Amino acid sequence: MLVLTRKLGEGIVIGDDVTITVVEMKGGNVRIGIDAPRSKKIYRQEIYDRIVEENRGAAHWDMTDLNSISDNLTVKKVTK
Amino acid sequence: MKTTNSRFGEIEYDPDSLLYFPAGLIGLPDLRYFIVMPNKKKGPLFWIQSVDDPDIAFVLADPTNFFLEYKVVPEANERKILHLEKEDECFILTVVTVPPDQNITLNLAAPILLSPKTNRAMQVILEDSVYSSKMPLPQ
Repeated sequence: MLVLTRKLGEGIVIGDDVTITVVEMKGGNVRIGIDAPRSKKIYRQEIYDRIVEENRGAAHWDMTDLNSISDNLTVKKVTK
Repeated sequence: MKTTNSRFGEIEYDPDSLLYFPAGLIGLPDLRYFIVMPNKKKGPLFWIQSVDDPDIAFVLADPTNFFLEYKVVPEANERKILHLEKEDECFILTVVTVPPDQNITLNLAAPILLSPKTNRAMQVILEDSVYSSKMPLPQ
């Protein structure tokens, strides 16, 4: 991993279209500003990781379970 | 018609009716083409089989069958990826996790957007939403 030291207000440029700036440092938190094209997806890492894990877990299942669930599932329209 | 292998045996499919995920699924970027499998059982669950990896299949559902108020509106860049024109319909689907204890959960935090007109699809993360990636069915 490339590790760089930056001061408040300084930034990092990635490629031609992504700029990351240190906006604020307070009480162990670092606020980061990101300039990137809208088509670039930006996620907090733990949220991204959770979805990846959920997708991998959902990819392997048993047909017997699906059939048995479908038999027992009653669709109820409810309000969340 | 073409055929592909799966964990459930050989599957025959029409190459023209595949779902196409230009960017794959989140964390699984190489899974671009899926066969929509007709459901043998009645009910809201159906499944899609990856053409790129025979080991991978996902159970999907329309989440509004369970959560009436669940709503996702595709953003401009998402509409572009799906080739959605102004009046085009966009289906919202959710990935269902089917564990051995059969207590299924819905990944409401990362829905699949699907254009029924072009069969193009993508998975998005609703990062600031209140929706869980492991939402149990309402009791």
